[in-house]
Amino acid sequence: MSFIKKFIEQEKISRRNLLLASAYGISGAAAMRMFGPSPVQAATYADPTIAWSYRNRTNPYWNEIVSGGEAFVESLGKPKDSLTHLINEGSSEKSLADVKALLAKTNGELALAIDTNDAPNCRPVVEACAGAGAYVSTLWNKTDDLHPWDFGDNYVSHMTWSDEKPAEQTARILLEAIGGKGGVVHLGGIASNNPAIERLQGLKNALKDYPDVELLDAQPADWDTQKANQIMSSFITRYGDEITGVHCANDTIGYGVLEALRAEGMSVPIVTYDGNPQAVELVAKGDILATVFTNPHWGGGVTAALAYHAATGAFKPSEEPNEHREFYGPTIMITPEDAVEFKAAYLDNVPTYDWKDFWGPSNGQILYK
Amino acid sequence: MTDITAQSAPGARFLTRERIIKWTPLLVLVFLVLLFPFFEWLEDFGAGKEHMYLADSRFFSIRNAARIFIAATPALMVAIGVTFIIIMGSIDLSMEGTVSVCAVIFAFAFIGWGGTLASWAWLAIPVALLVGAALGFINGLVHVRLKIPSFMASLAMGFVGTGLALLLTGGDRIRVEDELFRSLLTVRWFNFPIMVYVAAVMLLIAWFIQSRTTLGRNFYAVGGGEELAHASGLNVNRVRIMGFTLAGVFFAVGALLAVGRIGIAETATGNNFMFVSITSVVVGGTALWGGIGGVWNTLVGVLIVNVINNGMVVIGLPNFLQDGVLGILVILAVVLSTDRKSVSFVK
Repeated sequence: MSFIKKFIEQEKISRRNLLLASAYGISGAAAMRMFGPSPVQAATYADPTIAWSYRNRTNPYWNEIVSGGEAFVESLGKPKDSLTHLINEGSSEKSLADVKALLAKTNGELALAIDTNDAPNCRPVVEACAGAGAYVSTLWNKTDDLHPWDFGDNYVSHMTWSDEKPAEQTARILLEAIGGKGGVVHLGGIASNNPAIERLQGLKNALKDYPDVELLDAQPADWDTQKANQIMSSFITRYGDEITGVHCANDTIGYGVLEALRAEGMSVPIVTYDGNPQAVELVAKGDILATVFTNPHWGGGVTAALAYHAATGAFKPSEEPNEHREFYGPTIMITPEDAVEFKAAYLDNVPTYDWKDFWGPSNGQILYK
Repeated sequence: MTDITAQSAPGARFLTRERIIKWTPLLVLVFLVLLFPFFEWLEDFGAGKEHMYLADSRFFSIRNAARIFIAATPALMVAIGVTFIIIMGSIDLSMEGTVSVCAVIFAFAFIGWGGTLASWAWLAIPVALLVGAALGFINGLVHVRLKIPSFMASLAMGFVGTGLALLLTGGDRIRVEDELFRSLLTVRWFNFPIMVYVAAVMLLIAWFIQSRTTLGRNFYAVGGGEELAHASGLNVNRVRIMGFTLAGVFFAVGALLAVGRIGIAETATGNNFMFVSITSVVVGGTALWGGIGGVWNTLVGVLIVNVINNGMVVIGLPNFLQDGVLGILVILAVVLSTDRKSVSFVK
């Protein structure tokens, strides 16, 4: 029966620990409150570890983001691989666990750029960083009630993109091209993703002004070329020649759509989103009518730069206005007329950015609905 | 030696239980092919439109059949590869990584050696097949020599493959624009693109291996009773390694057709193949515990899955229902098409 005794013993100890810990927690919280809303001057570091936490590099979009982060560390005169990569593979739990591990390893001397994979995960990540004295800048995912200015200096900034307006613009280009009548289909991203929802909404907004165009169908293609290819061929079966235009949620979907049309010997105007190099070439050739460039390279670089420069004390986030803490990333519309020029300026040679010009290309403070 | 196999008496009932179960996957396929046009008919009937069942169906048409086949061919190749493994009672989950690596290496070699089939670049095709075979061989070695269950060994090899593909491409996508290679998709004989005929030839080769070679019969021997096969003097480990190698070759063919279909090789080329191929094999009536089934079952299984995917969009099923309906149909198909009386327990 000794194991029962042992068990009771252990339970006693763990209960004692719990009591001690909670007593400490309460007093700790009280101590925090005494210092008031503006905590003590956050520590800055001469040479913090720079890290990017993201899904993975398989996706060309994230590849661009991370290449921006690498360009930034190189601009500091460090080798490319001095950027620490935390890869969450689409798991919020892994994202948080990796951040906590890195905080422990670096003792809080960390400048972290992160997409927390989903919005609810942003708060624990930011709280862990702020608690350890690290500096964090977030991209894309954040709940609406969480704001950098509530965390003093440690939560440096948040950048996201509003895709509704640009998607509406591409939709208008498409609807004009088909003469304002006919039927369009939409192939979307993963149905629950915010950008997927906004991009479809953009199309719907534009359709309000074109009563003679019918939205025949909208299906999620999960940002995947092959899935888009299969869905488009099913659309062709269902609607055939009724389809006069295709609105795609991103470029990778567009490639699959183009190949499905090609297999049938059809040619229908399509618009996409993201401005990947290959899509820009297709725009220049006239195969795609328009795409939207969100400059992920700059976004990835400047997110890391903001966290780094705040961590070194080069600027003090809490002294910046709110529109410098939460802002929209840049969007550039690419159409056949300007595709060649755009390609030369942004893609053939990646421009050298001034990573200290944090807000130049940005697009204004984030608005909540 | 006395023959102790139980045999049904000659002149027994035509519709034996075994026979029904054997043909159920095909019946399921026929049923689905007739079901979707019925929904189309129902829709037009509700709208008061003239619609003759089947004759006016958009789903039940040669052009849509071609679309379903185009979607199905790469998955069919991958599924055939894994069929051999499943017949042995093992499983191979390395297909996503293997397909990506083969696609990417093929694209690099193809472009590096001339970029058109009319040049030395055609050598990229055998190179891709060799890469597939090599990956399968390593997979088999890891499984057999290190005595790691095939489930874990192959899954891990799949991750290695995906990582390798990512390392090679650095996350970029490679376009294969050659008109001659793309004629796999763009040139049609009797309404069907060339890739469908390539897949048909590969299917026949797979059938030949399965039924007319020692290796093929050995797969069944291992799957039907490994201890017995071993006791009879069969080198089970060798059969296993050869099986994984063969599967790798078929994964490579799948990769080539996938690249032919969309003209892009990338790390994501292998995405979704694991789910589609394993589902297809099982839906087709090949038992996961080994020894039962074959490549024709897999053909039917792949067609069932692709007919469902195509049909759901064609009848305009709302997207939030599609995944659920697919899941239910898969369970139904498995229930109908496997003889679960023959197994004492399911693990």
